[in-house]
Amino acid sequence: MNDKNDLNRREFLKVSAAAGAGVIFSPYIKTFSKDSFSKDLNIAIIGTGAQGQVLINACLKIPNIKFKAVCDIWESYNLQRAYRLLQKYGHKLNPYTDYQEMLSKEKNLDAVIIATPDFWHADHAVHCMEAGLNVYCEKEMSNTLEGARRIVEAQRRTGKKVQIGHQRRSNPNYLHCYNHLINEAEILGRITTVNGQWNRSVQPDNGWPKPNAIPAAVLKKYGFENMHQHRNWRWYKKLGGGPIVDLGSHQIDIYNWFLNAAPNSVIASGGTDYYDKKTHEWYDNVIATFSFKTKKGVVRASYQTITTNSNQGYFESFMGDQGSLTISESAGRVGVYKEPGNIDWEKWIRMKYLEAPVDEKPASTGAVLDVRETVAPQKHKLPILFNDPYHKPHLENFFNAVRGTAELNCPVDVGYETAVTVLKVNEAVKSKREIFFNKSEFRI
Amino acid sequence: MKTKIFKAAAIFLLLGGFQFISAQNDLAPIPIKLPKAMFVGTPTNLAISNLEKPLGKPRPPFMAPKGVKNIALGKPVTSSDMYPIIGDLKFITDGKAEAEEGYFVELGPMKQWVILDLQKPANIYAIVVWHYHKQPRVYYDVIVQIADDAKFTKNVRTLFNNDNDNSSGMGTGKDKNYVETAEGKLIDAKGQSARFVRLFSKGNNGDDLNHYIEVEVYGK
Repeated sequence: MNDKNDLNRREFLKVSAAAGAGVIFSPYIKTFSKDSFSKDLNIAIIGTGAQGQVLINACLKIPNIKFKAVCDIWESYNLQRAYRLLQKYGHKLNPYTDYQEMLSKEKNLDAVIIATPDFWHADHAVHCMEAGLNVYCEKEMSNTLEGARRIVEAQRRTGKKVQIGHQRRSNPNYLHCYNHLINEAEILGRITTVNGQWNRSVQPDNGWPKPNAIPAAVLKKYGFENMHQHRNWRWYKKLGGGPIVDLGSHQIDIYNWFLNAAPNSVIASGGTDYYDKKTHEWYDNVIATFSFKTKKGVVRASYQTITTNSNQGYFESFMGDQGSLTISESAGRVGVYKEPGNIDWEKWIRMKYLEAPVDEKPASTGAVLDVRETVAPQKHKLPILFNDPYHKPHLENFFNAVRGTAELNCPVDVGYETAVTVLKVNEAVKSKREIFFNKSEFRI
Repeated sequence: MKTKIFKAAAIFLLLGGFQFISAQNDLAPIPIKLPKAMFVGTPTNLAISNLEKPLGKPRPPFMAPKGVKNIALGKPVTSSDMYPIIGDLKFITDGKAEAEEGYFVELGPMKQWVILDLQKPANIYAIVVWHYHKQPRVYYDVIVQIADDAKFTKNVRTLFNNDNDNSSGMGTGKDKNYVETAEGKLIDAKGQSARFVRLFSKGNNGDDLNHYIEVEVYGK
């Protein structure tokens, strides 16, 4: 069916670079739009688990990217899966279980994607940069600030391009809101409040096919006590950062970005309230409140991530005295709402920064509006339709930066600032007190 | 005379009623054992046309003659991709419909098919297919056919087809796209006789790949 991956004809603003040439990946023929640069890039990926597969699939939709190597310690599953997948798309590549062997043997790489557990990011990123490679490193930069700092220092030392995987920074919806609505039009007025959440349903622990279990000696060599820990590393304090880092980091990064500021304090409550504490060391329920001092004044920003109920999914909402913006990677949730009063957004509609509001039929409840409430505002949609894989624009931005045709949307300095902001939430939960940031903490 | 007609009509209706009740008594819900529901990870955009509205409640039991069971269990499977990316074609008929790693076979990109050989003709009442329900995915151009021969040249019947622009070249279908769930997709086969079942798909909204966790064929 033609409209599966096709844009409809609604007017939209195309933010990511693209346009015209065909590329053939034997035996499957795919037609790509022509990229602004046609230089082939030879890349490798370390870590081909769930997130690695997401990134590989996004890369397969980007022209002129040649996978030359894949690396994962789970040889009989993750590694085989990535290797065979890329073979089917015509990539001529080598599989590795040891990244250092890969770095020593692959001498024709331009860049490496790192999608390993957080506690490995620093070693992988630093060693790749020292091998002369540009790096796309998944967020969080590390599960420790020390690890994140090592990445920043190595980047400064080597001068390589390093993109941190906060992919919303390259998402056309987010870029449009940041560039046009918040900074240029200042359409929300003075932002006073932010809230956001990522709520997920109860989920069982990740399992694994027993015949394919990684040998105990290999697990130990790479820092895992057992297979359960390897498959559920995000819950363990030595390996990951828990839901506030896995989920919240993406969104709290947007708080800093859209407010053009880093927070000056955070207070948080959380705990492992639902799951087994032995296998869920990190908090399954966290509610945090940041305060920001922006150029326009103080902003209070709350965030929650819970893992026992998926009510209303995930979004970020910015509220100002002129309007509100609710934004999410899930495009259906994005909307801009005008506050009541003499506020004229016609100009922005004419300039196609916003779509005209759509009259939504009120629910026929028969209820009478309570005079103490304000009338529900109309929803303005963004004039953007984005149907690509979420990570594709961020990877494209990285590859174009490597080619020298773009600036990175999330360089290490930005990634580090977010890492400080987010990792401090866990510290605030533990300390049960408000933590104040020193501006110098965000910079190296 | 009127009394005779009335009596005859009453006897006719009574017998008909007995037959109806008897037919009802010969039916039973097909014994589908549902796997654990499991949506994990980051959902992808579901900006998909012709999408079936979720039922919002458990699927009602599907009635079929008593004795109907999953006759695909353990039966051989062939595919357009005999070198799967991960997993084994045997997984498709191993009786396990769980979403976890190790339960599904991942086939190559774009249009792919699998064929189940029931090894003898059978009356098929329902086919239940789980492509991949770990995430709320939509698989494209899902086409389900039955036939009398493995090459699908004899007595081919299409039971389901949601390729509404014939991009897979198997004919235009009028069925809707649907979101994968732990319930699987149940397709009514209306008791038709066939030995072979063929299923097509052409990637999904998350990637271009094709997956099967399990295909159950209820018949006898």
